[in-house]
Amino acid sequence: MNDQDYILFEGYISKTLAVEERVDFENRLISDEAFNQAFITYKDLNVFLEQKFENENASIAFKDNLDTISKAYFKTESKTTKGVHFAPWKYAIAASVALLMGYFLFNNFSDPSYNDFSNHDSISLIERGTQVTAVKTAETSFNTKDYIAADIAFDALLQIDSTNAEYQFYKAIANIELDKFEEAEGLLHILKSGQSIFNQKAVWYLALSKLKQKDYEACIVILNTITEEAEDYKQAQKLLKKLD
Amino acid sequence: MADKKIHEDQKYIEGLLQNNSFIIQAVYDKFVPKVINYIKQNSGSEASAQDIIQETLITIYNQAKEKNLQLTCPFDAYFFLLCKRKWLNELKKTNSKEVTINEAVLSKDDNALELADETELFEDKQQLFNQMFQQLGTACKDLLKATFKIKSMEEVAKSLGVTYAYARKKKSLCIGKLTELVQASPKYNQLYN
Repeated sequence: MNDQDYILFEGYISKTLAVEERVDFENRLISDEAFNQAFITYKDLNVFLEQKFENENASIAFKDNLDTISKAYFKTESKTTKGVHFAPWKYAIAASVALLMGYFLFNNFSDPSYNDFSNHDSISLIERGTQVTAVKTAETSFNTKDYIAADIAFDALLQIDSTNAEYQFYKAIANIELDKFEEAEGLLHILKSGQSIFNQKAVWYLALSKLKQKDYEACIVILNTITEEAEDYKQAQKLLKKLD
Repeated sequence: MADKKIHEDQKYIEGLLQNNSFIIQAVYDKFVPKVINYIKQNSGSEASAQDIIQETLITIYNQAKEKNLQLTCPFDAYFFLLCKRKWLNELKKTNSKEVTINEAVLSKDDNALELADETELFEDKQQLFNQMFQQLGTACKDLLKATFKIKSMEEVAKSLGVTYAYARKKKSLCIGKLTELVQASPKYNQLYN
């Protein structure tokens, strides 16, 4: 094909050819196989480029979200698999712990406390480009329960990536631990109305924040909004029963 | 494809397109365990399963966005078939020995097979297009990026400091150059026969 052919392709696709030129073009597609083949590839490339650049931001958002969900999924998945290799003596301990917990639950003699319900797992944050050191600091501080350091690290990360739901969520938990409830709840409210995977978890932690403040009425109201599909539904129901 | 009925599982495709976290989570909860099992039973690890699944979902997303993918079979069959083929290709790349396919888990669903073929073709084309795009000169790359990002050719011309007519002409010549690169590639005949 020569330059003129490609200019014609573009004209045909953008519908800027005159009627006669259009008819000629379509006739040539039928009579000239090489012309037709080149046009098919040209058209494919046009759509490809459109998708590649025009929807680039949407694609990146999708990949990021997928990455977060995948990481969270495989973290729990490997935990379940590891359960199979549980040493027998651990069963004895687990059984005693379960018995002990049962005893306390049965003897419902005190108000439920935040510590009974706030069992955050170790976190593993997604590293993004230049922020690797800050991410590691946030992760390690959070996992070693050094919430003051975690809070500072998350602040730094959020300065670079202010809408990152993962950072917002764990900063909120760190703030509940530090009794900085207002800040924590502000973040959880944002997450609750957002589209991230943390939007249901955020509701559960809002309830836990109220629980830690011993604002039981508000806690009950929030717990009642947690629907059956939510991961924390069972925990929420358990807490509701204790608060009744 | 037009005469085939769209399967109710199209909701998963729409959910991926909308980047809906609940749907993506549902895909993981419902359909991923089977894939992990298969990969683990066929010399793979959980980490390799994680990569294969993520790559497959990105391909489905791209195809849905670009080609308006319409599901004519259950999502499970289609997704599993794609992940399985991707894993077998991966094994072929890293293993010199013959890869045995567990025929018992091959899909019997014709629609799923046909759809998986289309998706594979789509993915191969994307790979080729991306490779060839990288071979273009910087001027063409920048112009095409600007053209498709900004949309208005007048603005593109302004941002690049060239005339409108020149920008328009250059756009068609750059895609023309890309067309030639693609057609000259050894993979071209395989993808366009």
